[in-house]
Amino acid sequence: MIRLDSLTVKYDDKSILANISLSVESHLTILGANGSGKSTLAKALCNLIEYEGSVSIYGQDIKELSLKERAKLLSYIPAKLEVYDPYISVEEFVLLGRFAHKNNFLDYSDKDKKIAQNTLEFLKISNLKEHTLNSLSSGESQLVLIAGALTAQSKIIILDEPTANLDPHNAKKVAQHIKGLKDYHQVILITHDLHLASFIDSPTLFIKDSSTTYFDNKAEFFNNSTLAKLYGVEFEGLAVKYE
Amino acid sequence: MNKYLVWFLLFLVLLASPFIGAISLNMSQVFVSGTLHNSIFLDLRVPRVLFAFAAGSILALSGLLFQTLFRNALMTPYTLGISSGAVLGAGIAIKLGLGSLVFGIAAISLFGFMGAILTVLLLIYLSKFLKHSHFESLLLLGISLSLFYTSAIMVIFYLGDAMQNDILLRFTMGSLSIIGWVHPTSVAIIAVILFLVIYLYRYELQLLSISDESAQLRGVNTKRTTLILLIVSSFAIGTLVSISGPIGFVGLIVPHIVAKLHPVTVNKRIVKTALFGGFFLVFCDTLTRSLQTQSELPIGIVTALIGGPFFIYLIINRSKKA
Repeated sequence: MIRLDSLTVKYDDKSILANISLSVESHLTILGANGSGKSTLAKALCNLIEYEGSVSIYGQDIKELSLKERAKLLSYIPAKLEVYDPYISVEEFVLLGRFAHKNNFLDYSDKDKKIAQNTLEFLKISNLKEHTLNSLSSGESQLVLIAGALTAQSKIIILDEPTANLDPHNAKKVAQHIKGLKDYHQVILITHDLHLASFIDSPTLFIKDSSTTYFDNKAEFFNNSTLAKLYGVEFEGLAVKYE
Repeated sequence: MNKYLVWFLLFLVLLASPFIGAISLNMSQVFVSGTLHNSIFLDLRVPRVLFAFAAGSILALSGLLFQTLFRNALMTPYTLGISSGAVLGAGIAIKLGLGSLVFGIAAISLFGFMGAILTVLLLIYLSKFLKHSHFESLLLLGISLSLFYTSAIMVIFYLGDAMQNDILLRFTMGSLSIIGWVHPTSVAIIAVILFLVIYLYRYELQLLSISDESAQLRGVNTKRTTLILLIVSSFAIGTLVSISGPIGFVGLIVPHIVAKLHPVTVNKRIVKTALFGGFFLVFCDTLTRSLQTQSELPIGIVTALIGGPFFIYLIINRSKKA
């Protein structure tokens, strides 16, 4: 449950998002051209950037939530993970998903460790446990990021361009996992990948020129004439088969 | 070299250190109380080893902390000008001839401490004006401050008389020469406090060592955590430098060597860095005392002689990766 009230984001006096109001009960796919403000919207949802207006999740303004409460409600998965520490392992990273659940200053509990283990097994990446984050391929890295979010057990998961850096094989794997997430989490998917958007099949928000258009169902959005109008180019099917 | 061998050798140096120095101790007298050699051992050598160990731990831990908080291998209290700030403060006290005590603390120490703290506050204030590539610019600010302070100290030298200049010169080169247990005990207590605070924040640091954004998303108040840790560590550095003068490069080298010996995530390196820092400075100090020089070589000179080339190696190695 996410609610935006006249959300406006400016960078150096230039509006990236202008006056966006929206209430989302369920899953949502956010589409739009490069630089249209998709990631900015995601960052505003996570309170990572300055904005005007208000953002609330589950009826609470995100600015009033403590950072840990917010982390328990909401996970954000970036397109690419930048890591400074060259030595942190996959297992340690995934366990950090439990940070908001852990007691201040204490170690992670056995329960936390169990949850992290189960997540790695569930995503079939237990074999990567000891690997350092820097040594992962883009596909593996995306799965590890998803594992981190699952370990946090947050109600909302925001994925920012999850397939942007992936080859078709890994894109398919990640796409199927994202579809699986929909059963237990509210999934906010930000993507360029129209085929992924169509496969995930959530209501769609299209951002263009700092304002938005909402499409309740797939058929409304995924037809050549609508797409041509929105993107300004002609469309003709075919991409990887995610089914 | 085998990492356990490195630790073992450093440990041996620690054990041998109190027996090494200008006066060779007569082993039959060392443990007999009331003898001269016993009091050299207990009132000079052992406290000095403790002082060196605690000082090394503080320097290494602060280095690890600064490097993690700012995600930059070149960040240390020394490179950021915090140590130079302390030297300038102490220099002002010496020039003003403030030998007396203020609230029971030597004026030189108090001014040195203030110099360090004011530099941190100045850096925090100035960093508000930095927008992009924030931390690189912060490093440049620190280096600029260092150069500025060094010039200011030169002015004090120019104005000072021979007596003041001698005190100041010794101070600027860093020294572990102390008598008695007061300084070692207080610095050791501060080292323990610094260690405990860093240890409490070990998982916050682990998240910050990934990225600021990751830490925030997982629920770390990154601004508050950074501020608390910076202030505690500046307090420790300020106190240390006000007693010993600046001892450079330890904070830069030690975290790096420990990471090479033990390539594990940052929270598993806290204890190791504290210990290795202590061992390392005791080693350097033992070196200064065992060299048969006219007068004792200042510790800051030794660490800089080792650290300078290492710093260059680090920069070259870093630019190769980028």
